[in-house]
Amino acid sequence: MAEIHLPASGLAEDILSDFKEKSGEYHLVTFNLGEEYGVPINQVQEIVRVGGITMVPNSPSYMEGVINLRGRVLPVLNLRKKLKLSASAMGKDSRIVVTEVGSKVIGLLVDAVSHVIKVPSEFVETAPEEVLEVDTDYITGVGKLQDRLIILLDLEKLLKRENIEIKEGGTDLQRGGNNE
Amino acid sequence: MEYSELIKDFLDDADGHLKAFDSALLSLERHGLNKNIIMNVLGSLHTLKGNSGMMGFESLKRYIHGLEEVLKKIDDGNIELEIAINALLNSANVLRSALQGIGHEPSFNPDLTDDILSLQKCLDGSGNDSERLVVDPESYLGSKTNTIKVDFKRLDDLLNLVGELVIFKTRLNQIETEIRGAVNNKSISKELSNSLELMGKTISGLQEGIMRARMLPVNHVFNKFPRMVRDLSKSQGKNIQLVFEGEDTELDKTVIDELEKPLLHIIRNAVDHGIETPKERILKVKDPLGVITLSAAQESNYVIIKVKDNGRGINYENIREKAIEKGLIKTEDAFDKDSILPLIFSPGFTTKQEASDISGRGIGLDVVNKNISKLNGQVIVDSIHEKGTTFTIKLPLSLAIIPALMAETGGEVYAIPMSTIDESIKVREDDIHVINNREVIRFREKVIPVVRLNDFFGLDSKKKKRFYLVILGRADKRLAIAVDRLKGQQEIVIKPLDDTFGKSYGIAGASILGDGRIVLIIDVLSFWNKDKLKQEV
Repeated sequence: MAEIHLPASGLAEDILSDFKEKSGEYHLVTFNLGEEYGVPINQVQEIVRVGGITMVPNSPSYMEGVINLRGRVLPVLNLRKKLKLSASAMGKDSRIVVTEVGSKVIGLLVDAVSHVIKVPSEFVETAPEEVLEVDTDYITGVGKLQDRLIILLDLEKLLKRENIEIKEGGTDLQRGGNNE
Repeated sequence: MEYSELIKDFLDDADGHLKAFDSALLSLERHGLNKNIIMNVLGSLHTLKGNSGMMGFESLKRYIHGLEEVLKKIDDGNIELEIAINALLNSANVLRSALQGIGHEPSFNPDLTDDILSLQKCLDGSGNDSERLVVDPESYLGSKTNTIKVDFKRLDDLLNLVGELVIFKTRLNQIETEIRGAVNNKSISKELSNSLELMGKTISGLQEGIMRARMLPVNHVFNKFPRMVRDLSKSQGKNIQLVFEGEDTELDKTVIDELEKPLLHIIRNAVDHGIETPKERILKVKDPLGVITLSAAQESNYVIIKVKDNGRGINYENIREKAIEKGLIKTEDAFDKDSILPLIFSPGFTTKQEASDISGRGIGLDVVNKNISKLNGQVIVDSIHEKGTTFTIKLPLSLAIIPALMAETGGEVYAIPMSTIDESIKVREDDIHVINNREVIRFREKVIPVVRLNDFFGLDSKKKKRFYLVILGRADKRLAIAVDRLKGQQEIVIKPLDDTFGKSYGIAGASILGDGRIVLIIDVLSFWNKDKLKQEV
């Protein structure tokens, strides 16, 4: 008989999620940026309306600015610019997806939030090599649901890239100069 | 510090040592000889002895010295613990009575001559003192202490909470103004504004109280220097006295911590470059004893710290020569005190031919300037040849909540820390001149470079006929920042910016205003760097 390890918490929901994990299912929040993108729901804290963004000068172009999230100064990343997609104007459907990656809380500006869905892992494929470039390893796969394609993002990789870029950017002085 | 406060500190401290002594003795009595316990208790007694001597309790000091002797002999095996233990337990009570006496009457100086004699007997190995001193049972409770030790982090958290409270208060005040216009009930709006005013006062009191709890007297830093000055001057054959003034002026602990290094550099410089050798001083008809005065004083929301020496002063000609050599200035540049002195803050600047052990690598003053700017402060130097040099450091009282000037440019509002600002003026476009592709303004007999904030931050802004210049001071230099409009002064709570996307050049942090908007706080230091960068290009 196979041994069953119960999660330490012993809670029913944890036990169930344990099973789901094993059966392989992606629980995603999806949003629109021309195409549909998805991030794991456990990395999403909340979704807020766009408003009161303070622009931060001398910061990378994809840095939209900072917002006041209940007394917390939250950086907001323009995901379109970050993914090098064509720009689109902010509309009434625009939202900020507040994500928690590692110890950082970061807002992602998206065109619209579409769904919270579960995608069984057998419907997820790694993205075809031909469409991936060297620096696009933050795309973990593509989910195929009937007539839809969902691009799965690895936020940790997407944001880790920042630190490397910053280091290569050199000293503050140079950065300041470059931004002129 | 007042003498009575010193006594209180002494008693608080002594109480702890006595408790340590008591519990060590009880443990020795129960479990027998333990070298670790004896070592620890010797440490406690030694401190208590030193403190007693410092407070002038001579007899008490000698008694504790005797106790130390007894314990050392026990440790060495020269006296049997069993023989001495009663005398030791007795001695704890002797100390207790003496301290209680001082607690009742601070001028009381316990005379323990008899007790010292009985200890002496114990040292000879003859005194198995069975006669225990009976003390007032209340004295076992020790002196009541008025101080507690608190983890600084807790105070930090409290201050953050108060910061939030200040923000909400500002928001409530704005709502109140809006409501007053919308509601036609005079008595209710009056009551609301009264309550808000009361709440505002309470919050201010709370804020002040917590800020005060975080404050330490500057002698926490000052006291680190007498020994250093003594050793340094000795090694150079100099005779230097370090004098303190206003050392009980209080500053936020975070500022105190950051102050050590700049002061170290300045004092080192004063010892090394400032004060002459006694021989040289006698030739100059000066007192052979050189004096460095370290003073602190509070002026409104700032603390002014001065390091003043009566040494040889700064030789302007020397600095000019070196500066020309290094290409910092040109031979034909103006030669006056105001333009020469700031050069000593330039990175890598030194007039010494060789670096000495102590200073002279030309890094010191540059570091001072950077560190003080980081604290949103200013450092100014003044020097009279053969009379001495004075460094003046101006610092905000606290780092967490600072007064700031709100300035608008290109439709965005930025906060500039007040402590970095000299003054602000209204100017016309005609007042701005261009020298060598750089905009400058003539102001109070000085030519000051102008940096337009909208250009610096790459913002769109229409040229206005009239606008404002915020004049920043750093050492003896001035720099003007051009903004469209000034929006008044406000207390702001500094919040750091997330640096996931790199540190934004020119921004030191953010603050949340009463209406929930975020304003960015300008990093004044970067304007000076930028300024230098442009000059070098």
